[in-house]
Amino acid sequence: MGLLDFVKKIEPDKKKSPFLHTLFDGFFTFLYSPDTVTKGGVHIRDGMDLKRTMVVVVLAMQLCYVFGSFNIGHQHFAATGQYTAFLDGFHLKLIYGLIQLIPIFIVAHVVGLGIEFWYAAKKGHAIEEGFLVSGALIPLIMPPDIPLLWLAFAVAFGVIIGKEAFGGTGMNILNVALLARVFIFFAYPTTISGDEVWVAGLAESGDTLATTYNWFHTGLFNGIFESLGWDTFQAGMPVVDGYSGATPLALAFKEGWGAVTEQYSTTQMFWGAIPGSIGETCKPFILIGAGILIATGIASWRIMLSMLIGAVACAWLFNMWGVTPFMEVPWLYQFYMGSFFFAMAFMATDPVTAASTTTGKWIYGFLIGFVGMIIRVINPAYPEGWMLAILFMNVFAPLIDHYVIESNMGRRAKRNKITGVAVPVTPVAEAVAEH
Amino acid sequence: MDFFNIFIRAAFIENLVLAYFLGMCSYLAVSKSVKTAFGLGLAVIFVLAITMPINWVISNKILSENGMLGIDLTFLRFILFIAVIASMVQLVEMIIEKVSPALYNSLGIFLPLITVNCAILGGSLFMVARDYNFSDSVAFGLGGGFGWFLAIIAIAAIREKIRYSDVPPALRGLGMAFILTGLMGIAFMSLMGIDPAALGK
Repeated sequence: MGLLDFVKKIEPDKKKSPFLHTLFDGFFTFLYSPDTVTKGGVHIRDGMDLKRTMVVVVLAMQLCYVFGSFNIGHQHFAATGQYTAFLDGFHLKLIYGLIQLIPIFIVAHVVGLGIEFWYAAKKGHAIEEGFLVSGALIPLIMPPDIPLLWLAFAVAFGVIIGKEAFGGTGMNILNVALLARVFIFFAYPTTISGDEVWVAGLAESGDTLATTYNWFHTGLFNGIFESLGWDTFQAGMPVVDGYSGATPLALAFKEGWGAVTEQYSTTQMFWGAIPGSIGETCKPFILIGAGILIATGIASWRIMLSMLIGAVACAWLFNMWGVTPFMEVPWLYQFYMGSFFFAMAFMATDPVTAASTTTGKWIYGFLIGFVGMIIRVINPAYPEGWMLAILFMNVFAPLIDHYVIESNMGRRAKRNKITGVAVPVTPVAEAVAEH
Repeated sequence: MDFFNIFIRAAFIENLVLAYFLGMCSYLAVSKSVKTAFGLGLAVIFVLAITMPINWVISNKILSENGMLGIDLTFLRFILFIAVIASMVQLVEMIIEKVSPALYNSLGIFLPLITVNCAILGGSLFMVARDYNFSDSVAFGLGGGFGWFLAIIAIAAIREKIRYSDVPPALRGLGMAFILTGLMGIAFMSLMGIDPAALGK
């Protein structure tokens, strides 16, 4: 109980310093269940509150973090032809990935949580936990070389416009993490798309790309590695001949599946040792995360399943149509490339922005799968479709819910009339019936 | 195939509201409930789909130099377009009043105001600027109207949903509607860049 006593002792006064108290409250409820109780009315008291729910989601994506940070390093070294086997140069790849990933993680959280804390103090309520999930998702969907200033702008945009303007956690219409990503995509289109953003740490030197390092690599870690007698970071290593950094999707769009298999094997794509956004590449680990979410009942399996069905249906139709090389990619192989599973497990199932009725979830998921595949395959402007498809369907989710509820009401009214149960006629019902 | 392409383009890719921001006044004013938004959306589809071909005939067969009068009267274009739109709206108003008085009452002043809905005049002017032929203009009218209809019922459903949200006081009402329209515009950018014509072979 030592910690609890200590925490109680340092609790700031709510009146005198509201900001500090909000801050304190946020961290206190992170450690302990609060002892304040609600009075009056009907309330459910359950240890599985919003904070625990959010933490399960964050836990479910930890494997993606582990793999993502290692894969940043692997792609970096694979580009220059060093340590091409996946586990070679383990310490170098891991340290390189962490040096790249940790600043992204910190910036996303400091900016997002800072805004969240400030709003909570301003409004005088407890800190809402919504940003824990968004903040953990944002680094995973960024390219590894993302400039931190842009990231800060994007997170601020997502949190302020996408969430706080709507009234905070649980009120947003569009997915906050995706809004931050789409902000970067549309605000810096020339520098954020193309082949070169997916592999970190390469810069122009002479007429070719070569590795560059900063003080952390050469000053700090090279010293440590040398003293241990391990391999060190070598600056100025040129990339291998014919290197482009193109993701499987970019290759498939231009030249079809044949061009993809020349560079990447299907096992490699399945396990995720390919360039891409940080957390999206490793399919098995994402599926484990999806399994955790389904088992704990946090994410809806209906949305995941219907999204899969929608994507398969659309890819299959494209196979039938087959006028561009990308359309001829067999439908199964579409799932080896890109971020379908990540979007399915963590993005589409966001319970706030998805449709909330059961029928609505099937429709919503199916349309995401269908529209996303359309954007991926036939829209030359965007390499991947899931981010935009989910945002697109987020806009329509309330409409889907509205009509699902309407049709339920209509069906029940009809059923009641058929079985002879008198429907009480109120002035409101009359007015509705007239329309 | 061309008909289908232009329909898809007008409805999704170059949505009149969310890509060109036309017809905002009634879009913002009548989007508080899905039911009235639905009615107004249908009326806009109807008016666009009728005025577009009529305006095409006027523009190409009467006003143009190669038309039946043989003189260049294109300077009359705007005024005639507006006259056609206004008379069509009158017609729609009479039909709706006769067929469904309830819808007529719930739409109120916004039904005659379709006359000054810029999406409708804008549609006719796009048609002229893009040299559409007759069937293209029918497709554009239907597609543009359908896109407008989709946009207004989507925002109406969202506004019904956020009615009880704790929106900052300064943003309540129209402020939120503007932010929402912008965010919906971002979502609709997902389809921008698709060229249906390039696919139909």
